[in-house]
Amino acid sequence: MIDERQQERASLYALELLEGAEHAQFETDLAQDRELQSLVGVLRNASAALAHCANPARPPAGLKDRILASIDEAAEVAAEANPVIRPPLSSFRQFIPWAAAACFALIATWFGLRAMTARSETDALRNLNRLGEITLQSSRQQLEAERIVTQHLRNESAREFAAATANLEQARALLGAREQQLAEVRTQLANRDQLVTEREQLLAAARREVRARESEVTALVNRVDALTGASADVGRQLGGANLRIAQLTNALKTQGDLAEFKITTLASLLKNSPQALAVAVWDPAKQEGVLKIEKLPALAADQDYQLWIVDPQYPNPVDGGVFTVEPASGAARFQFKSKQPVAAVNAFAVTLERKGGVPKAEGPFVLLGK
Amino acid sequence: MPSSLSCCLDGLSGAVLVHKAGAPQSAPEWMSAPVSSPSPEDRQRIDAQLLQRVAQRDRHALAELYDRFSGPLYGAALQIVRDPTEAQDVVHDTFVSLWEKAATFETTRGSAFAWAVTLTRNRAIDRVRMRRRRAELLEAAAPGDFGYDESGPGNSGDAAARGEEARAVRAAVAGLPAEQRRALELAFFGGLTQEEIARQLAAPLGTVKARIRRGLLKLRDTLAPRS
Repeated sequence: MIDERQQERASLYALELLEGAEHAQFETDLAQDRELQSLVGVLRNASAALAHCANPARPPAGLKDRILASIDEAAEVAAEANPVIRPPLSSFRQFIPWAAAACFALIATWFGLRAMTARSETDALRNLNRLGEITLQSSRQQLEAERIVTQHLRNESAREFAAATANLEQARALLGAREQQLAEVRTQLANRDQLVTEREQLLAAARREVRARESEVTALVNRVDALTGASADVGRQLGGANLRIAQLTNALKTQGDLAEFKITTLASLLKNSPQALAVAVWDPAKQEGVLKIEKLPALAADQDYQLWIVDPQYPNPVDGGVFTVEPASGAARFQFKSKQPVAAVNAFAVTLERKGGVPKAEGPFVLLGK
Repeated sequence: MPSSLSCCLDGLSGAVLVHKAGAPQSAPEWMSAPVSSPSPEDRQRIDAQLLQRVAQRDRHALAELYDRFSGPLYGAALQIVRDPTEAQDVVHDTFVSLWEKAATFETTRGSAFAWAVTLTRNRAIDRVRMRRRRAELLEAAAPGDFGYDESGPGNSGDAAARGEEARAVRAAVAGLPAEQRRALELAFFGGLTQEEIARQLAAPLGTVKARIRRGLLKLRDTLAPRS
């Protein structure tokens, strides 16, 4: 049973369409398969019948004669190469001519054999020539097939190259666009970096300012605390002084003379000692008094505090005397007398004077009370 | 334009032509009026016997083979080479080869007619390939160029000269599907390779091979002797 593939190869072989290795393989199969040989035979007959489908055409009348003349000419050439052997003579006298003829025949035979040999060689050469033609034809067909395949591959390669070139151009254009975008992004990043740097500088300045403000606030808080503490002390001192005044007032009242006494509280005029305080009690009858002082600044060695009594009848305050205070507490109790008779007391004042005092106030006022 | 093989569509009625054995000096068969219709096996047997006589250097046998074969051989050669002078040379060379190589003929490899057609076709294709470049051949081998000329000499007054075998073949080919007929036509007359036929038909190579196989097998079955 011959399968379809072998039938196909047999059909192509019958039409001489098999080439190269396929042709050689099929001939090998053909030599070993009688059934395949039979199929090839009938397929050859069928394919040969296609010749009847050519446009009908009459061969020229002289063609047959030309063919027959060609083979006759070939036959004559062959006949010329064959010697004519004559029958031998019977008489002895004719021996010599027969001998000559025999020699001639031998020579002719030799030439004939040479001619046959030459003809065989010619046939062999013709066969070789035919084989060469077939080989050449096969090679041409193979070369043509390879040329067609190569051309096809070349065309395919050219198309692929064109496509690759187009893709490359697109990729380059895309790359250019991306590079441009990248440059823009880099510019934006640089601008943002600069902005960030400026913001950081502003932030650092703001932080420094905040720290300075914090320091100021801390100092202010400390100062407020200090002032609060000082105010509390002053309050306590005022409370104590008022209590003392009340006690003294009560004591004077008990003595019956309190209505005649002039009691005055002197306040500090010093910026560096605002808490300084003094209370003066004047007895007009005795023309003397007592001054109670607290928290006056300590005096230098060449200075004294001097008390002045302001009486409207005199153009200048009346000298009340000089006194000093305890350096540590700034406190003192000074009992004084006026240098001149005092009728009415409008105010008491304390000034800072040179050691021993002066007849007329020269130094700065330290305390004043009306 | 109708194809060459489409000629088989023309009428099959009319006188029945036959191969004739013997009568070496008789007129060509395709020109004679037949009186009987031998079977295909008889025709092949007679052809083989004539070829055996040719192998024995019988020029009369060669003359008779010429009368039996020259019509289709010349028509096929002319169809391929497209030149009457070259077609004559092809047929001349074919019969000289038959004269010289008749002794090598083997009936198992096909009929005598098939052998003669093969010799003719090979020589014709060789001449075309030598004469033209391959591209020119491909151009000339366009399917349209194989059209059968309805107005040719064989269509009008020579119907009786084509012979019964030619009629049978044409009828068988006409019965093939068009694509099989086209593939066989390009393969036989075009001298094209398988790949070239596939390109001409714009069909895959495997399809073309299958068409050739089916067409040739169907032709074989149609032309097979009826028992």
